[in-house]
Amino acid sequence: MSALTNAAAEILAQVPAEATADEAKAIAGASGAGMAYGLAAIGPGIGIGYLVGQAVQAMARQPESAGQVQTTMFLGIAFTEALALIGFVVFILLKFV
Amino acid sequence: MLAAVLVRLAEEDPTAINPVVPDEIGEIFWGAVAFFSLWILMRYWLLPPLMRIREQRRAKEIADLEAAEEARTAAVQVRRDYDATLAEARQRAAAVLEEARSAAEAERQAAVSAAETEAAARRQEAMAELEAARARAIAGMGDDVADLATTAASKVVEAPIDASAHRSTVDTYVEGNR
Amino acid sequence: MLSVLSNPALLLAAEGEGGGVEFPPINLIVKWPAAFGDGQWYAFNKIALISMIGMLVPVILFWLAGRKASLVPKGIQNVMETSIDFVEDQIVLPAIGPDGMRYLPMLVSMFFFIWIGNLFEVIPTSHMPANARMANPLLLALTAWVMFIGVGLKHHKLGYLKEALFPPGVPKALYLLVTPIEFLSTFLIRPFSLAVRLFANMLAGHILLVTFSVLTITLMVLGPLVIVGGLSFAMLVAFTGFEFMVAFLQAFIFSLLTAVYIGGALHPAH
Repeated sequence: MSALTNAAAEILAQVPAEATADEAKAIAGASGAGMAYGLAAIGPGIGIGYLVGQAVQAMARQPESAGQVQTTMFLGIAFTEALALIGFVVFILLKFV
Repeated sequence: MLAAVLVRLAEEDPTAINPVVPDEIGEIFWGAVAFFSLWILMRYWLLPPLMRIREQRRAKEIADLEAAEEARTAAVQVRRDYDATLAEARQRAAAVLEEARSAAEAERQAAVSAAETEAAARRQEAMAELEAARARAIAGMGDDVADLATTAASKVVEAPIDASAHRSTVDTYVEGNR
Repeated sequence: MLSVLSNPALLLAAEGEGGGVEFPPINLIVKWPAAFGDGQWYAFNKIALISMIGMLVPVILFWLAGRKASLVPKGIQNVMETSIDFVEDQIVLPAIGPDGMRYLPMLVSMFFFIWIGNLFEVIPTSHMPANARMANPLLLALTAWVMFIGVGLKHHKLGYLKEALFPPGVPKALYLLVTPIEFLSTFLIRPFSLAVRLFANMLAGHILLVTFSVLTITLMVLGPLVIVGGLSFAMLVAFTGFEFMVAFLQAFIFSLLTAVYIGGALHPAH
């Protein structure tokens, strides 16, 4: 985590002295946006992978209930994916203030 | 890199609103018009005929299934009737056969017994006749033997022997040799 | 009307000065000039046009299907009945149950409206999903929100709020913690996540396609990098197919979640 904050501080240090406060804020936002989305994608990535893996296992064990499993799987993906998407929105918000 | 960011920032409209914010009222307005009119049209105009057709089809399917079930029941009934008729006919045929057989048996029995009776009577008759003939023969033989004996004795004694006087002796002898 | 459809992002990319890759600013690829009523409450731009098409196409299709509806379906009627079957079997029955057939018209319209709005992401000459603007997702999410709260209040009166905010089987003291969380998750996060899920998915897909289009055109123009441009083009085709699938999936998930929320309000026991 300190590596990330160091990176942000480094970028901030490069901001020329004549840059206004708004510009500095925009640059910090742009650099933070990438980290925000990258971090937000980790959890849901693992989650969706686990979820789909389990769903495939369930469908392989009981092919007759595949339809129900699939619907439930999509629901689970939707809930898990929401976290990553909120990360994406935060990315947009930070990048394009 | 940094220069490019600064140039971009300078180029961008400083009053630009973030794309996440729904700032265009027109989009919401026309979206609402489109979606709610679609909903209302679906509810009252577009879906009812299709849903009605689906309902009819479902009802027809159920009716068809029921008709098939009825036809099946009817077929089973017909089969049962046929089986019953068949069984009855068989039974009647068996009865007729049995009757005929018993009649034939009775007739045969009667014929046999009649024949037996007749045969027995004949045998009886024959036996009687035989007996009579035999008795007659024996009787005849006794007379002949007496005559013969009397004649032989007369020859022996050279004198007529009263046949009737020795008759009983001969009879006794014949009886004893029987 | 054509000016509404033209895509300035690609023009800008083709004219990128100095030969460098020039990505268009985000507002250029999602904001559209109005055809009429600019700045007014009735401003009619490309998104509004797509919304109107998203209404007209299902109306025409269902009208054609229902006009000469026969017991033995054929042609367009078959297709539309299959779509109704899909919504019924995959959305209404698993999420609400047999008593949810009442909400079929809303879910069918929602599904088609979102799907067609999404499909414009990959339809040539348009390449703009209507749902990559916050307007339609917000509207639909608010509709779903009003619907499920309305259904809960209609069928269980104030018992619905009690059931939702004070779930049974929780120790009294925990209500201090549970009630605010339930309030947040049921009444605020649900519509928010519904809207954001659809909006962010489509915006991300749109940015992805724009990125690869810009990259392809720029690399083609640059000449020596035409081979890399070919790879970029292959990626563009692959992502177009992917977004075609996402367009359907997001419409399905939005309708399914709306149905799940309505079902939860209708039968709060489970």
